[in-house]
Amino acid sequence: MTCGELRRDYTSYALGIAEDPERAEIAEHLARKCPECVSGMASAMATVTAMSGAVPVAEPSPRLRRRVMATVEKAPRRSRAGVFVPWAITAAMSIALVAIGISGRRQIGDTAKLQQALSILNDPAARDVTFGETGKPPLPGTRGRIFVSPGNGVVFIGASLPRIDAGKTFELWVIPARGNPIPAGLFRSQPDATAVFVRPGPVESAAAVAVTVEPEGGSAQPTTTPFIVTRL
Amino acid sequence: MTIPGILLALQMSAEHDENIARRLQRRDPEAMGDLYDRFGRMAYSVIVAIVRDTAVAEDLVQETFLRVWNRAHAFEAGRGALGPWLLAIARNRAIDHLRSLSARMDRNSYELGSSGTYLREHPSLFVDMEREVLNTDHARLIRKAISKLSANQQKAIELAYYEGLSQSEMAERMGEPLGTVKTWVRTALKLLREELGQEVAA
Repeated sequence: MTCGELRRDYTSYALGIAEDPERAEIAEHLARKCPECVSGMASAMATVTAMSGAVPVAEPSPRLRRRVMATVEKAPRRSRAGVFVPWAITAAMSIALVAIGISGRRQIGDTAKLQQALSILNDPAARDVTFGETGKPPLPGTRGRIFVSPGNGVVFIGASLPRIDAGKTFELWVIPARGNPIPAGLFRSQPDATAVFVRPGPVESAAAVAVTVEPEGGSAQPTTTPFIVTRL
Repeated sequence: MTIPGILLALQMSAEHDENIARRLQRRDPEAMGDLYDRFGRMAYSVIVAIVRDTAVAEDLVQETFLRVWNRAHAFEAGRGALGPWLLAIARNRAIDHLRSLSARMDRNSYELGSSGTYLREHPSLFVDMEREVLNTDHARLIRKAISKLSANQQKAIELAYYEGLSQSEMAERMGEPLGTVKTWVRTALKLLREELGQEVAA
């Protein structure tokens, strides 16, 4: 069908009530980024938005804000796997414990971070990869390990990280199989060039993980070549 | 669709939204709090009006915000309309919930499944959307436009917005021929778009 024929069903489609054949046709036009349909659909979406703006007010319970915040502040309440920790992960955790423990400040924050890290390491679905140990390390001596739990987040443990200027930061990236790298948090190294970084929260379709040096405050997309790239 | 009071407190601030979006992209949990303070009540209002169950609505609000958090990377912070995007996600979650209850998920006569929702809430559809679309004037325009519709057209719009019924389902529910219902829906939605100045140029 032509865009001209589909036009009168853009708003139905935006509302999710269009039926075939128009539904399938519009979806196909949108999937191939047909400019006329994308622009028409954006305008239809504005109409749906205005309809949402005219809905009667309802007041949510005050606890809802806390619930929403909890989804990103903490890793899931507790690990379903209980105390099961494979030995390799235990070894990595002891490194993390030492690193977190030695830094010594912000005790409460570090405890939360440790719990988040445990929930990631303890996830049976977590994948992990080491970097820098075999063959040609990306940088002399830089090595470490990265754990990715699809449900709980990413733990990065690195040693001999490159020195960076005061106005710079490390930025972790999750790279999906298709599409642009997704920012996964900023961190700095300890004076001994090590870092343990925990990024809680679900990880969508990670094919690789990378680390770049970015200006302080981070970037939405990498602006330097990653010095660590590991396929998962 | 009656009171636009939900919008009274909402002074759209493009810079503020852009700032929130950028911080979401950096995985700043505080940004989630700001996002909630700005749009939490609107999202809840939309969802509870559809699912009519406060406990379910709270679950779906949580899901909505988590989805925004997880997809913020795909959002154009400088040009995208954050509130409209979030509200589209909120309504889709609520309609999906209704469909799952009534087992309408099994039918394939109309748009279903995550790929369809994915296209309908794709951030690209919210680039450069006028921010005024969520202000009180637009809510008033919508109410005025709806009041001008025939009783059948109003019913069709309600079934479309609040229940996400396909036109075949509406025809069944209203006991009217499909062709008649299709005409009501198309005419009514066209009138709404015209009132909002969103009619697609011929």
